[in-house]
Amino acid sequence: MSTSPSPRRRSRLINAGLALALALLSFFTVLRAQHSQGIARDEAQYFGFGARYARYWVDLFRGVPGLRTAAAITATWGGRAPTDNNREHPPLMKTLFGLSELAFHQKLGWTDAVTANRLPTIALNALLVALVFLFTTGIWGRAAGVTAGLLTLLLPRAFFHAGLACFDAPIAALWFATTAAYHRALRGGVLAALLCGVCFGLALATKHNAFLLPIGLGLHYLWVALRPEILHQRARRAAQAAAGPGVPALARELPPAARFALAPLTFRPAIIVALALVGPLVLIILWPWLWFDTSAHLRDWLRFHLTHVHYNFEYLGQNWNHPRFPWHVALVTTLLTVPVATLAAAATGLGVVIRRAIRRVTDDPARAPALLCALSIMVAAGPFFMGSTPIFGAEKHWAPAIPFLCVFAGVGLTAAARAAIARSAALLPRARFLAHRHAPTAAIAVLATLAVTAAAVETFHAQPYALSSYNALAGGAPGGADLGMNRQFWGVSARGVLPWLDVHAPPGARVYSHDANIAWGHYMAQGLLRHDLPDAGHEEGGVASSDLALVIHELHFNRHDYMIWRNYGTVRPVHVLTFDGVPLVSVYQRPRPSP
Amino acid sequence: MSARWRGLARLAAGMVPALAILVLAMWEVFATLAVPARVATEADWAAAEAEVRAGWKAGDLIVFAPRWVDPVGRLHLGDLIPIDVAGRMDAARFARIWEVSIRGARAADARGARVASSRSHGGVKVRLLEQTPARVRTDFVAAFAAARSEGASAGASPILEEVGFAPHRCIRIEPPAGGSGKLTWPAADLGSKLVGHVGLADVFTRRDIRGPGKLELLIGGKPVATTIVGVDSGWVRFEVATTPGPAEVTFIASATDPRRLICFAAEARE
Repeated sequence: MSTSPSPRRRSRLINAGLALALALLSFFTVLRAQHSQGIARDEAQYFGFGARYARYWVDLFRGVPGLRTAAAITATWGGRAPTDNNREHPPLMKTLFGLSELAFHQKLGWTDAVTANRLPTIALNALLVALVFLFTTGIWGRAAGVTAGLLTLLLPRAFFHAGLACFDAPIAALWFATTAAYHRALRGGVLAALLCGVCFGLALATKHNAFLLPIGLGLHYLWVALRPEILHQRARRAAQAAAGPGVPALARELPPAARFALAPLTFRPAIIVALALVGPLVLIILWPWLWFDTSAHLRDWLRFHLTHVHYNFEYLGQNWNHPRFPWHVALVTTLLTVPVATLAAAATGLGVVIRRAIRRVTDDPARAPALLCALSIMVAAGPFFMGSTPIFGAEKHWAPAIPFLCVFAGVGLTAAARAAIARSAALLPRARFLAHRHAPTAAIAVLATLAVTAAAVETFHAQPYALSSYNALAGGAPGGADLGMNRQFWGVSARGVLPWLDVHAPPGARVYSHDANIAWGHYMAQGLLRHDLPDAGHEEGGVASSDLALVIHELHFNRHDYMIWRNYGTVRPVHVLTFDGVPLVSVYQRPRPSP
Repeated sequence: MSARWRGLARLAAGMVPALAILVLAMWEVFATLAVPARVATEADWAAAEAEVRAGWKAGDLIVFAPRWVDPVGRLHLGDLIPIDVAGRMDAARFARIWEVSIRGARAADARGARVASSRSHGGVKVRLLEQTPARVRTDFVAAFAAARSEGASAGASPILEEVGFAPHRCIRIEPPAGGSGKLTWPAADLGSKLVGHVGLADVFTRRDIRGPGKLELLIGGKPVATTIVGVDSGWVRFEVATTPGPAEVTFIASATDPRRLICFAAEARE
């Protein structure tokens, strides 16, 4: 009796194996790369809060009494001011950062503290790459899936964010997971719908832009729920027209308007319940701050983001810190930061699915995956076309849109390769190799290798200063600087001057660390900075009491240069860190008084 | 169109996306790897620095282009740039300007000047430019001590400020909301024109307070120029013709909003 698996099962095993391989590749590549990345301003804050949140949960599960009281919860998770205990951001990732540090650094000693904090993000990014592969493979085939997965991994900016203990890579992963789970749930089944709800809850507990998710899913749901009704009504009218006048309407059928109104409710109600109830429930379970005064605390959270201060951000040569912002920020920034070959493949993919839609030969029309991807992009990036949404942070704010772009890239690249072989074979019948059954696969392999190589070159070249990198279309980092695109944010590049300070800073020098002030102590703890180089403090006072001063270059930070000039009496820095010739950090040293 | 041409057209249409991805991917690899190769090296900068140092004279202006390379330029030549020169009102009073540039960029301050010499050092180009310098009779920032202050100008002082994301040594007045600050030079030595610049200092107050500021210029008690500067105006130039000789010159800074840091510099020129 044969024990070989059925073709379907074999295919599933191969896909599972590939998904695992992609996830592991992603995990270990990002894990290795993040060691050279600086500590971002935000993640330096999350380290501390994550440790507190993790301690709370550990104590709660150990049965420490009194932790469920409003006072105890407030002490760890809330407070009066909008940013007390970092309550302006939901807790999932911070909690995971803290638990990871507890487990992998403090208990097991496998990693340093910063890496341990970053592990949850790295793991979620690996999950994202695997999910993109599985989702794309399930609809458009394995070649498209592998291509899409690899292109998702090899995005310079996203790759950088995947190595930070922040929320941007995680929300991209959980947004995609929710969408993929929703797509699976459209086939029916309570478990799939439940998974969709749980993923949505995890996304809500990660970052506030998850609130946008139901818009895309809702619009898509309406389409797939109403589509059978539209087809039904069309067929009915055709049947009536064919039967001729005088034929009575079908008996016992609700009027069309009623059928349309009921269709969404009866199509896959479990999805509606999951998104409306399970998602919020997961959020509340994971966030003790919502265990009491829930609506008030939710309102505070959202109000903080709806009235968020507009940070300064350079875009096309101008500093923006107030609406109205240019409508094209998301478009242009994406065009200048995503690898060019990936963009070309994605544009092709978009063209392919639009063409198929026009010809009514869409893939899986009952679940309309291409429409789902398109809506996800529109909803994730849409707010940034309005001119009122804060644009600081650029690509990280619409990060959930980009994996769907990579799905289209996988679709486009494989379709382009197949079309090229098919046309060539038809036109050149004597070239027998074009008619070989493996010719399309070979063409896909060549094209995918080139596109992935291009993306890999962009991605690895950008490290560890990916926030200052721009793609070949922009002309790299210098081209981005010429265009007046934002230089960087979060102060991460300060890491690059630490070796210089280590060698050149006088013993006991006080350092004005500028935007790296929150990370300063962590750099010392990591052994990347001498312990005798304390942070000198903030702004004018910090500069005045410093012996060395850093300026992390962004347009609006020019004022820090001038502050230092005034105080040190010189405009000459003693060291300038550059990336492809573009200044990232200047270091000034207070001149010694003349004898 | 013949069947053959139609076939070719179909072939081309079918091939274009694949070819586009293929060509773009190959180009992207080379273009990305070529970026560092085109960056001016330390040796290029050192050679450019040596040329400037060899020819530099006190009173020369050194500028860098594009503007974003300024920190690298100052790393090499910053000791030849006094703070007052870095925070200059404009470049008109400099007879010689050294322009150190990369990537074919040109400095705005060098515009219109004659090129006396031009030499490339790898990726760095050094040009010495010459112009007839403006002869300044009164530098109102330097002559601040001679001014009489009224109203909110009591706290006014010359200071190096960020205005329009550039350094400018200027007189900063912070008038109260709806009020004004007034500075008067009772007997300023005027030439044939008075040139000035005004702007709003500090990016954060520009972000948080959106109203404009106003600077009025009075000569002999008569208003001769009014300049209104908004949060995105930058460093705005104004110029009036003047009668040579001593005259009372007054600047009045006013704003409707609070915390409006109005900064100005002005020179009476021959």
